[in-house]
Formats: sequence, C-alpha cells, structure tokens
Amino acid sequence: MRDLSEIENELRKLRPKQPSPILLERVAEAIGGRDAQAASAGRPSAAPHVFRNWLSLGAGLAAAAILLLLTLMGMGDGKRFVNEVSSISPGRETERALAARGERRSMAESTLRHRFIPAGATRVVYDARDEGLQFVAGSAQPLRRLRYQVQQTLQWRDPATGASIRVSYPSEEILLLPVSGQ
Amino acid sequence: MENTGRHEDWKSCFSEIAPGLLLFARQWVRSAADAEDIVQEAFVKFWRRNHNIKNRALLYAAVRSLALDFVRRDSRRARREAGVRAEAEEFVEPHFEFDDETQLALAHAVDQLPQEQREVLVMKIWNELTFVEIAKVLGISQNTAASRYRYALLALKRMLQPQ
Repeated sequence: MRDLSEIENELRKLRPKQPSPILLERVAEAIGGRDAQAASAGRPSAAPHVFRNWLSLGAGLAAAAILLLLTLMGMGDGKRFVNEVSSISPGRETERALAARGERRSMAESTLRHRFIPAGATRVVYDARDEGLQFVAGSAQPLRRLRYQVQQTLQWRDPATGASIRVSYPSEEILLLPVSGQ
Repeated sequence: MENTGRHEDWKSCFSEIAPGLLLFARQWVRSAADAEDIVQEAFVKFWRRNHNIKNRALLYAAVRSLALDFVRRDSRRARREAGVRAEAEEFVEPHFEFDDETQLALAHAVDQLPQEQREVLVMKIWNELTFVEIAKVLGISQNTAASRYRYALLALKRMLQPQ
C-alpha cells in the first residue's frame, strides 16, 4: 500500500519538460529591449509611465504647432506651398536618403529577419452529405457523390519574436467514389 | 552595470521556474507553443513591474488568467474541432520526461485528476509554492488549497493501486 508521502516523492521525481531554447531568447529580447531603452533615455525603467506622459504631451504640442503653421500658410501663400509638397516624391526621396546613409541594406535585412515558418495545419470536416448514386455520361459504373464542408486552418510562427499568423477559411469538396456491384 | 545585474537576475529566476510555469500553463492549453507564449507574456509583464520573484503568487495568477483568456478566445475553434479530435485522438505532447513505465503511469494518472486538484498539485509539487501562495493564486482559503492537494494525492493513490 502506497503512503501519501511516498506518492509525493515519486511525483517529485517526475521532471517537467524543459522549455524550448527560443523561449529564453524571446524573453531576453522583450526584457532586454525595454531595459536598454530605459538606460539610453537616462531614466529608470521602473517609472515608464512618467516618461510616456511627457512624450505624449510633447507630441501633442508639436502636432498643434504644425497645424497652426499650416493654417497660417493656407491663409497666405498656401497654393505655392501645396504645389511644392506634391512635386516631391516621398518614395524616391526616402530611397535616396537611405542609400546615402547606407541603411537600405539593414532595412532589407530586418525584413528578412522576421521569417514565419509553418507551425500547424488542421482540417475539420464539420458536415458530410451523401448525395446518392450518379451515372456520369459515358460511364457504365455508378458513382457515389459525397459533399464535405471543411474548415481549414493554417498557422505560421516567427520563432524569433513569437508572433504568429493564423488563416482559417471554409471550403467545400465533392468526392465521386466508384461503386462496384457484387 | 546595474542593468547587467538585473539581466542576470531574471535569467536565473526564469531558468529555475520556467519548466514548472510551463507545466502550469499546459493544464489549459494543449500545445507547448501556446503555453510558451502565455508564460512569456506573463513573465515579461511581471518582471517589468516587480524586478524580483518574491511575490510569485502574482506571476502564477497572471499565467492562469492569460491561459483562461486564451481558452475563451480559442473556444469557438475548439468546439468546431472537438468532434474531429475525439475521433482522431489528436497527439498531445507529453508534459513530463519519463525514465520508466512507472513514471509514465504516474504522469497519466496526474492527467486524469480533476482540474481543481491538478492545478494545486502542479503548483505544490513542481513549483514549490506554499499553500498560502496557492490560496492567493486561486482566490481560495488556505485550508481549501490544502484539502484539494490531499484529495489529489488520495486519488493518485487509488489510481495507482494494483487491481
């Protein structure tokens, strides 16, 4: 007869599965990134809300100043200003600026770094209907027509960030099975 | 320098508690990847607020809450798939590493326990929480936590008795 303390000891011998090594990296990225930001801002990370409040106040004031400036320009020489702005191609300007600073490659690399790998696929048949026997033209053998309503779900996962994408869509399939008579 | 120290702190804390935390999260979610997502989110939020592991009942409460949210979000899909799962007997990754058949039987018996007993057992045995901490996580009294633990052990004893 097993004693309860004996069962406790046996349970303690059971070792839970170890987490994947990626998990530690993900947590390091999440915690480390935040600490690094706080350190570079010269503020302790324990009081981020204060920093955020100042930041939003600053952003609000800047937006108000820009609006005021645009209103004033619109009242005076607004047409010329609009024409000048629309003649600039932002895409080309950005490309040129990035190429000059050598940042185009790093941008492409950062896009490549976020790679999603397939993580799972499920196919759920939630309705199946037997539509009876059919004779297709030119065929002497009858066919059984089966109609399936299916929900397919595919999942991808970025091991670096833990982000995942799940796509789920319904589909209908019709299957024709030859029936042989005995 | 202080920053580096904090990093080392969280790494040692996390390495120590991660397997138990994952096991705790796995009670509600079937996939290890989902459990890891939950543990990551809970631990990062917890560490940012506390910077130590003293009040760990809060961490376990966060994992439990996130896992239950996940189950609620995922319940519609789970209902759709339930019928198929029952027929196909979907493969579930084991929660433990086994050395022999006895351990396999024991792990299987743990899986058969009612949820409320199993969560107390997991927190007590593999996470080494006290009954006071367990009571705080679950919002129950210390006595209830202790009696659920005892019921779990008795149930395991019954299940493992030779027929």
